[in-house]
Amino acid sequence: MRALLSLLILVSFLFSSDFKTEQKIYGVIIHALLPQKGAIKVWSDDKSKEKILSFIVGVEFVSSPKEADFLLLSKGEKVQSKGLTFVTNFRLLEAEQNSVIGGFFWQKGRPNILFLRKNLQKHHIKLPQSMQEYIEDNL
Amino acid sequence: MKHIKQLYTFIFISIVLAIAYLFFSTAQIQKTLNKNVENIFIQGAKSFAENINEEITTHIKNDPYKELKKNPQMQKRMEHALSIIVNETYKYIFVLYKDKNGNYRYLLDGSKDKARFNQRLSVDKELWDKVYTTKTPLVINQKKLDNLWITYLKPVVMNHKTVAIIALDFSAELPQDIYHAIKPLNKIFLYIFISIGLLIFILIYQSVANIKIKKDSITDPLTQAYNRNYLRDLLKNINIAKYQIMMLDIDHFKQVNDNYGHKTGDHILANTARIIQNEIREDDMLIRFGGEEFLIFIKKSLPLPSLAYDIGERIRKKIEMTHFNYEDKELQITLSIGVACQPEHFKTVSLAIKHADEMLYIAKREGRNQVISHATHQENSPESDKRSINDVKAALEEKRIICFYQAIYNAKTNTIIKYEALVRMREKDGSITPPMRFLESIMYTNVYNDLTKTVLDNVFTQIKKKKIQISTNLNFSDILDNKIFDLIIAELQEHKELSSWLIIELLEYELIEEITIIQNRLLQIKEFGVKIAIDDFGSGYANYSIFKQLPIDILKIDGSLIKDIDTSETSYKITHSIAVLAKELGITTVAEFVHSKEVLECVKTLHIDELQGFYLAKPSPDIL
Repeated sequence: MRALLSLLILVSFLFSSDFKTEQKIYGVIIHALLPQKGAIKVWSDDKSKEKILSFIVGVEFVSSPKEADFLLLSKGEKVQSKGLTFVTNFRLLEAEQNSVIGGFFWQKGRPNILFLRKNLQKHHIKLPQSMQEYIEDNL
Repeated sequence: MKHIKQLYTFIFISIVLAIAYLFFSTAQIQKTLNKNVENIFIQGAKSFAENINEEITTHIKNDPYKELKKNPQMQKRMEHALSIIVNETYKYIFVLYKDKNGNYRYLLDGSKDKARFNQRLSVDKELWDKVYTTKTPLVINQKKLDNLWITYLKPVVMNHKTVAIIALDFSAELPQDIYHAIKPLNKIFLYIFISIGLLIFILIYQSVANIKIKKDSITDPLTQAYNRNYLRDLLKNINIAKYQIMMLDIDHFKQVNDNYGHKTGDHILANTARIIQNEIREDDMLIRFGGEEFLIFIKKSLPLPSLAYDIGERIRKKIEMTHFNYEDKELQITLSIGVACQPEHFKTVSLAIKHADEMLYIAKREGRNQVISHATHQENSPESDKRSINDVKAALEEKRIICFYQAIYNAKTNTIIKYEALVRMREKDGSITPPMRFLESIMYTNVYNDLTKTVLDNVFTQIKKKKIQISTNLNFSDILDNKIFDLIIAELQEHKELSSWLIIELLEYELIEEITIIQNRLLQIKEFGVKIAIDDFGSGYANYSIFKQLPIDILKIDGSLIKDIDTSETSYKITHSIAVLAKELGITTVAEFVHSKEVLECVKTLHIDELQGFYLAKPSPDIL
């Protein structure tokens, strides 16, 4: 019964609109940031993001931040990793603007993406044309 | 059965249409309600946006970004004003401006998850730009976003230039709230819908039950053919001109029942009906008329006079070739069939059925297992010189129906005192056909009425010309027939001054039914001075009570008694007793069939008043 309930919750979550939108956006962001990587290893400090990231094609969710090429952070705790860091809220983006590549978060019910130019340059990342409009010089 | 099918189809289509109409109208009402509620909220949003716009344009003169950046106090105050409006319906209220890169950024935010001043917000640029450019408000239905329902955008215009956009986001919970608000109304619709559905269900149930009861009441359970209840209703409404009638009877059916039992008989009946039903068309009607008798109304779909005959022949052959198996018995049966090919010529449908029955009787009498119609009977009959109804019709139209007149003598004075009019048909070649060769085919038909009128007209013409009494023959059934009786009265009215010269002879061989009606009608006729005679007395059904019941003036003693009165003592004594009785009752007597001198002399001894016969005078087309 419990397994069935879990399956139902998972299915309903899979079919929810925001879930799909978020998954698509993360997919585009990860592949735009790491275009050369075959299988991109990702890690998040937010368990709820694991479900979203696990279903993205070409992405592998890893259990340790050290192995990750891409980190998605929701909490302000320091994490040891050489991977690119992305955050899930504006406050954290503001706080970590010197180190994080950018952030994806919901505001006023709308999905918002921001990339920080100076950090992109630091990592020698060139985003595709379609994502240029999301690059911010300063917050 | 066809009507029942049509009724089923009609009920089904009506119900489907009614349900579809109810469904769509209910959905339409809900849609309208939703739209109206939505409009109410949008109106509210417009009003708030207008107030915000007024607040901004009052305090800011040129560039909201610069002025608000400079004046955090004003920004705070304005954001506080916006936050007052925020509630569960208007989830987010904020003001954005467009930077030089075309990105939208916060000026003011009254929402709970307050953004920072100048923070960037991703919006649907295409629509926001449209508001910026056109300077007109816009309502956006947020179909792609889960948390939002509608966004209302209002441009803040300063110096003919859009400097910012006020946005009011409606919570996605609002439609749910509206749904809950109108839920009681939906419930009312649901109850109405259920009630109507229930009513329709009851109606269908009742209709089906009624149809079933009606069907059962008009269907014979054994043969599944219609029964006499159906026939009774059918006779009231049927247009008989569109049908031919067939009467069928299973030959020697009683022997089947007696020899093999009633169950076998029932099996034969049910299967015979099934075979007949398969041989006729949907428009034809099979009715179980009696025990083993069936009646079929054949629809005249083809211009074939012998249509019913042909169908009858087909049925007869099919039955003849069928081996009926029941339990371990195998039986073969035959059918006798009578056909009325022209029922429209009959005065009533019942008379047309009677004619078909008469044809059936002939089919049985002449050997069974055959189909007989009037036409085939005439072809095969030794009396093939009988005239058909169409022959009589043609003769009437061509005025070839005439009267011969036979003189009637006073027995004492030997002088002619009256004549009897006798109807004849003059053939096209000039030969004369007696009534026995054409009356039978028109009996009970409308042609018979026309013939009666022609005879009466001829008689009155002769009365007018010769001023002498003339008698004419009618049947008791003619007096009972409303149309003929009305015709007689009309003729008497028309020739009122001549009526007292007319004698109506009523044929005594008919069984008299409804004597009271006849009595009253004869009295009405007598009021015109007409005399009533009983013809052929002593040969038919009449008994002496006829003198008590009917207003008789003249008694014509039947020729069968007179013709051998000189040789038969019995005939003499019967005639004598009739003459004595008539004298006692004051009724004039006439002896018919005086065909010899011996008969004449014998009759004179009996004190009979009047005499008629070939010895005295033969019928002639003219009155001397």
